[in-house]
Amino acid sequence: MALRSIASRTALWVLVGSTLVLAAMGALLLNLTRTQILEHTHHEAAALAAHAGSQIQARIDRVAVSARMLAAIIDTRQDDAEPLLRDTLAANLDMDGLAAVFRPSPNPADALPYSPFVSRLDNGTLTSRDLARDASPYWNNNWFLGGLGCSNGCWQRPFFSQSRHRQLINYSVAISRDGHPVGIINADVTLDWLHQILGSLAKPEGAYAFVLDSDGNYLAHDNPDLVGKRGAAALLVALASDQPESTRLPVAQNPRAHGAVWVYSAPIEGTRWRLGLVVPEYQIYAGVRRIFVLSLALGLLALLGVALITLLTIRRTMAPLGVLADRAEHVARGELDFELPPPRRPDEVGRLTQSFDHMRRELALHLENLARVAREKQRLASELEIAHQIQIGLLPSEHYLDAVCAYFELHAALRPARAVGGDLYSYFMLDPQRFFVMVGDVSDKGIPAALFMAQTITLAKALAPRAQTPQNLLRLLNLELCRGNDSCMFVTLLCGLLDTGNGSLVLASAGHEPPILCGRGAPQLLDFPTGAVLGLYEDSDYPEHRLRLRQGETLLMYTDGITEASDDEQRMYGIERTVESLAQVPPTAPTAGYIERLLGDVDRFVAEAAQADDITVLALTWHGATAPGTEISIGNQLADVFGALDRCENLLLEADVPAALRGDMRLVLEELMVNTVEYGYPDGRPGRIRILLQPQPDAVAVELIDDGGPFDPLQSATPDLTGDLADREQVGGLGIHLARTMASEMRYTRDADGNHLLLRFTYPNLDESPP
Amino acid sequence: MTLSLHHEFSAPDRVVVHVGGRLDAMTFGELDEAMLALLPRLGDGGTVVVDLAGLEYVSSAGLRSFARIRKSMRARNGHTLLLNPQPQVRKVFDIVKAVPVNEVFTSTQELDAYLDRMQRQITEGDNDDA
Repeated sequence: MALRSIASRTALWVLVGSTLVLAAMGALLLNLTRTQILEHTHHEAAALAAHAGSQIQARIDRVAVSARMLAAIIDTRQDDAEPLLRDTLAANLDMDGLAAVFRPSPNPADALPYSPFVSRLDNGTLTSRDLARDASPYWNNNWFLGGLGCSNGCWQRPFFSQSRHRQLINYSVAISRDGHPVGIINADVTLDWLHQILGSLAKPEGAYAFVLDSDGNYLAHDNPDLVGKRGAAALLVALASDQPESTRLPVAQNPRAHGAVWVYSAPIEGTRWRLGLVVPEYQIYAGVRRIFVLSLALGLLALLGVALITLLTIRRTMAPLGVLADRAEHVARGELDFELPPPRRPDEVGRLTQSFDHMRRELALHLENLARVAREKQRLASELEIAHQIQIGLLPSEHYLDAVCAYFELHAALRPARAVGGDLYSYFMLDPQRFFVMVGDVSDKGIPAALFMAQTITLAKALAPRAQTPQNLLRLLNLELCRGNDSCMFVTLLCGLLDTGNGSLVLASAGHEPPILCGRGAPQLLDFPTGAVLGLYEDSDYPEHRLRLRQGETLLMYTDGITEASDDEQRMYGIERTVESLAQVPPTAPTAGYIERLLGDVDRFVAEAAQADDITVLALTWHGATAPGTEISIGNQLADVFGALDRCENLLLEADVPAALRGDMRLVLEELMVNTVEYGYPDGRPGRIRILLQPQPDAVAVELIDDGGPFDPLQSATPDLTGDLADREQVGGLGIHLARTMASEMRYTRDADGNHLLLRFTYPNLDESPP
Repeated sequence: MTLSLHHEFSAPDRVVVHVGGRLDAMTFGELDEAMLALLPRLGDGGTVVVDLAGLEYVSSAGLRSFARIRKSMRARNGHTLLLNPQPQVRKVFDIVKAVPVNEVFTSTQELDAYLDRMQRQITEGDNDDA
């Protein structure tokens, strides 16, 4: 838990790291120090041992010198032997007794030689006796026999004197006479002083000293229990080797010492003794260990302090980071209005704080921008959606069934590739008889295309009544679209005018895909010559193509969105597939069947690929012809006019046309025809007027054709209808006004045959007639 | 069906002309001729009542004939009143606003009441003059 904070982790690592370094350095130092100390101890102990050795030697030398001197002089003063011995003994306190022992004469008859022995009693007085008088003959004793061989003096084995209750050792020197030993001087030496010397040595604490004789037995030892005992084998081996100045033994013989020990020895000259000094190893290192432990404790304490300081410093330095982390969560939640810790120093944390503040401000700006962009985007999207709705609104319904005669039917489908597109279709009744239909494709896509499309569709509808024919419409439309078309947008347009009376169709194309005629046999591509696209060249012309739809035939108009629909591998659908697809539609299929089939096939072909272009399909089916109308042809005489009016009246009566409508029609026809007769032929030539009468289920269509002078009744001025009729200057124009008012619809065209006036009288709506 | 005309003098200064059938470009001449003969027989300030009950059809030519009658009567300080126009005729009148609405009457009673009122005005006017 606590290790989550960087401060505590850093502090811990500092602590661990420093401890490791400290431990390593400590171990190294300890090792070096130990070596040093050991060497120092070796020197010291060796010196000490040597010093002790020489001290012992000095004492022994005195004994040896005295004994050898006695041996040298006693031969000649054998009689003064006892006083000599006594004086010598008195002078040398190291000696406990002195004996001058002579070999008895080989002749057993001879008296035994006087062999005085002077010894010191416990109270310090000297006593003497003649050893020759002892019960046991000395000359057979080992000490005597051994002593005879020591011409230069030698130390005998130590022994415990029963009489004197102490450990003694003899120094024997042979008394020579003529080169032969005749006796020996035997000096008894107490070993108490040896103990005193060993005890008085300035030994290190815990160390002990000992003296080994030539047989490896302890002559003296700081532990009195071991005196007289044999030295341990390892010790003896170590001392026997020639470099026994310092030897390490894993275990000491002395039970008072524990663990490994170092043994230092020095030979004692003149004897074959060795002085040994034993220092326990732990004692050597005790001091350095203590210092090391102390240093370690101090070091650890210091490290703890360092770690604590590190912890506090880092914690204090990092404190702003905690606040920043907290604030970052605010940022994540989108809350940007918060307090930041004041930057204390221009260090990393300070810079981070400043950067954080900067980031917060930039982020706020950025978020604001983003929100604005999002709003803008949303607005654009909604505008685009509205544009889409408006564009859809510009298009007429997808299905049109002629309500009057049900002789033709239209289905259309438009799929924009984007929200708005450049494809268009439109249709409308130009007059009661003729039906305009068009399909177009604006260059480019998106909003510019949509605007151009809207312009085209609106202009087409506005210009159609004036144009009257597809050829004219394309011409007029082209001129209008060329005007101010700096962006050089253009539109291809296929335009058709269907005579709903007989199915005759006039087509004109401005660079548009050729339509396909279906329904009888194989679909047929109507590849007639087309004019230039609309909007680019003002002097373009558009040839007309005429055909007559037979019953059940369907004209299919489409845009290149069909033929150029591409699949994932960029293969286009193409006109061949289009024709093949249409060939699959049975002749009895409804009009919508063509569109469903074609779009279904295109969808299957395209599969998962994105729609690249707008797709528009329009199918126009002709279901049959109207019953033939009645034609009345008359001359340009007033009487003929009234004769014709009567015939019309009779025909209408037969067709059960309501009386009120008959009256209206008679009035309109009379006014128009009288007008033609009176004004249409100012030169008085004979003329011809034709009346085409076609009763329909809810209306009567009439076409008046005359070969008189051009006259469009729709363009004549409305007469002044204010004031009293009788007061008016001219009363002309009343008839035309009446005709215009009373006909439900009136269309005028003029062609080679002369004036055509298309009239339509719808049956009065019975629901709206007054009760 | 053609035009039928006959007239009767209900008073020395008032003639009622019954017009029936169709009054169109073909027949308006007959009415014009008849009126040309008839109107001079009325004194100044006389009244022509054209009864349209039998008139089935009128075209702009007929309207012009009525306009001529009114013009002619006005020249003699007289009045032209139209009675009983049938729906077709009335419709045509409405479209071209051919005659002042107060000179068209839908029934004889309405006309008689109007004539009485007018008679009284004249009498009182005479009294005032006297």
